[in-house]
Amino acid sequence: MVDFGTAELTLEMIQASQLGMKAIGAGLAVGLTGIASGIAEMAIGSAAVGATAENRDVFGLVLLLTVIPETIVIFGLVVALLLLF
Amino acid sequence: MLRPERMRRLLIAAPQGEIDTIIGELYRHNVYHIEDFVPESESAEALSIGHPLPGASDVASALNDVRAIESACGINPDSVEVKEKLPASKVSEMIRTDLPAILEEVKGLVATRSRLEARQKEREQRAKELEPFAAVPLDLDLYHGYTRFTVFTGHIARDVSVDVPHEKYFSDRVDGNMIVVVVQNEYREQVERTLLDAGFQAIPVPEGTGSPVDNQKVHLAEVQSASTEIAEVNREIARIRERHTDFLVACDELLTADVERAQAPLRFATTEETFITEGWVPDDRADRIRQALEKATNGRIYIEELEIDDAARVPVEYENPTVASPTQVLMDLYARPRYSELDPTLMVAFVFPIFFGLILGDVGYGAILLALSLGLRKFLKGDEGRMLLKVLSYASISSIVFGILYSEFFGFALPWDAMIYSRHLNIGTEVHGHGPQVVELMLLVIWIGILHITLGRILGMINARKLYHGKHATKALIANAGWLGTMWGILILIWSLFPMPMMPDLTGFPVAIAVGVVVLVAGVIGIAQENPLELVELPTIISHVLSYARLMAVGLSSVAIAMVINFIAIGLLIQPQLEAITPVGVILIIFGVLVLFMGHALNTALGLLGGGLHSLRLHYVEFFTKFYKGGGIKYNPFGMKSKFTEE
Repeated sequence: MVDFGTAELTLEMIQASQLGMKAIGAGLAVGLTGIASGIAEMAIGSAAVGATAENRDVFGLVLLLTVIPETIVIFGLVVALLLLF
Repeated sequence: MLRPERMRRLLIAAPQGEIDTIIGELYRHNVYHIEDFVPESESAEALSIGHPLPGASDVASALNDVRAIESACGINPDSVEVKEKLPASKVSEMIRTDLPAILEEVKGLVATRSRLEARQKEREQRAKELEPFAAVPLDLDLYHGYTRFTVFTGHIARDVSVDVPHEKYFSDRVDGNMIVVVVQNEYREQVERTLLDAGFQAIPVPEGTGSPVDNQKVHLAEVQSASTEIAEVNREIARIRERHTDFLVACDELLTADVERAQAPLRFATTEETFITEGWVPDDRADRIRQALEKATNGRIYIEELEIDDAARVPVEYENPTVASPTQVLMDLYARPRYSELDPTLMVAFVFPIFFGLILGDVGYGAILLALSLGLRKFLKGDEGRMLLKVLSYASISSIVFGILYSEFFGFALPWDAMIYSRHLNIGTEVHGHGPQVVELMLLVIWIGILHITLGRILGMINARKLYHGKHATKALIANAGWLGTMWGILILIWSLFPMPMMPDLTGFPVAIAVGVVVLVAGVIGIAQENPLELVELPTIISHVLSYARLMAVGLSSVAIAMVINFIAIGLLIQPQLEAITPVGVILIIFGVLVLFMGHALNTALGLLGGGLHSLRLHYVEFFTKFYKGGGIKYNPFGMKSKFTEE
């Protein structure tokens, strides 16, 4: 353990810790939005499977409806990429 | 191009005597979309729905027979390859002479088979019932016929001790254990309680005499012989399929056509002496069918071209250049265009592959998908499947082209630097060029989004004129212009406040802010004049444009997965072992190769799904919502393209 009270903080250490924070932020952005997309797709997906069982013709349409919440995680991914690069 | 095929509305009236000729002629030309006659209360009283042609029920029952044989033999006409076309006259002759015999034979075989299957099931059941008794060394006739004794037989959780005079057999060799207890009648209740406490479940004693093991053997032998006979029957059926498939599918086609023809009058309006039908014919073929009908009936027919009063009733047929026609399958997936609106198939045909390539720009994956789409063509018989494969092959060619531009091959770099923006991430130890140009790529796809949405709104303005009439059309047109103005107003404001790479820098011009505000406010007013409630949708302007970021994001994630697979397989597993080969190392190398193959197979599937679905979604959700209504009736001409028969 580094004792930040006494140990001297070098510039490299600060930069490294900032880089780590960025990585954590990027990870959170993708991870949390991924969970959100999953929750949103859960309901749509189950309804979509039910609808397809009733009428196969709607398959294309419901497949599309199912991927609509994917936008959330894509925004998360974009934020993460902008954080990292 | 850019609009559905023009249609003409024809009204045909003729005496009942000509109905056969006219139906035959219409069917042969395969261009007339019948509008079903629906009797309404206000229609002339003398008009009623027609009756099927004489002989309709015979043809229908013959068709039923053919379908029954096909299903018994497992023939699916859709997946039968055409070897040679049989002449229709020969087929109808054979329907009279050969079909009854084949039907008899197949019926007999199917009946035999179901009888054998029933016997097999029954014997199997018997053998199964005997199984617990085979574990007890008693003959079956020893279980019954007593007056002073009670016999308990059944499954039990554990062996029990019975404290009255008794005879007992227990076996744990069968599932759920087996117990047989014989006691005098007066102890019956006491013993029953003891047994039930140990979880006793009575099972009835099977009928028969002699040892259960022998009985079981007899039944199993029967099962065996039944399944041999079933196999024999199946071979027989397969032989029939082999010999008669061509004939049966030809029968199916011919009879289906006969049935459709015979039932056509059900869609006509008739009086005692005449019949009337209304329908649609493509513009360029209308004159030909008119002349053909007049010639066939020697002029005993009245044909009138009616005006199209309600565009919503016109059946819609696409009219696209060959290169764009496979994309129609993507349009049908959403909704067929209405007769009066723009048909965007051509635009989708060009933009969809570009989006796909932008997302999955990799020479390796593109080549795999191209090979897949070409290879599967042999196996997919349906029209829709083939069109989908064609779309996929265009998309994968675009993927290869973008792969060359991005310089990517299964996540590795090709010998040159990326010609457009690089997507090479710094995963593993290899670093190529200047790393990924995420910001540039992002701005590029945002530009694509802005232009795509602008195009959508302009098409919306054009469509407003085509779809609506009078005041509503003007309002819809202004609303579309309003949405366009709001978007560009926001853009001008952003550009005049913040300098951005790859975008116009307007920070030096204070007048730009004013222009932006004016355009924005005018746009909002334009939206509100159609329906003020639409204003809640204003944030979608930003979210729809940003949504195009998926073109970059999904693509980068696919590149990242590819690079991670390469790093794990080659960097971590294979390369370190190659320096000094050991037995463990060889296993690790094999494992690495496995990871490499499995990983890239998975990423190909993900890339296909991601690239395809997201490109499609951008069209359906972001592009089509700006202008496209859809919901046209499919043009479905009366007639059939004969596949197995010829006149």
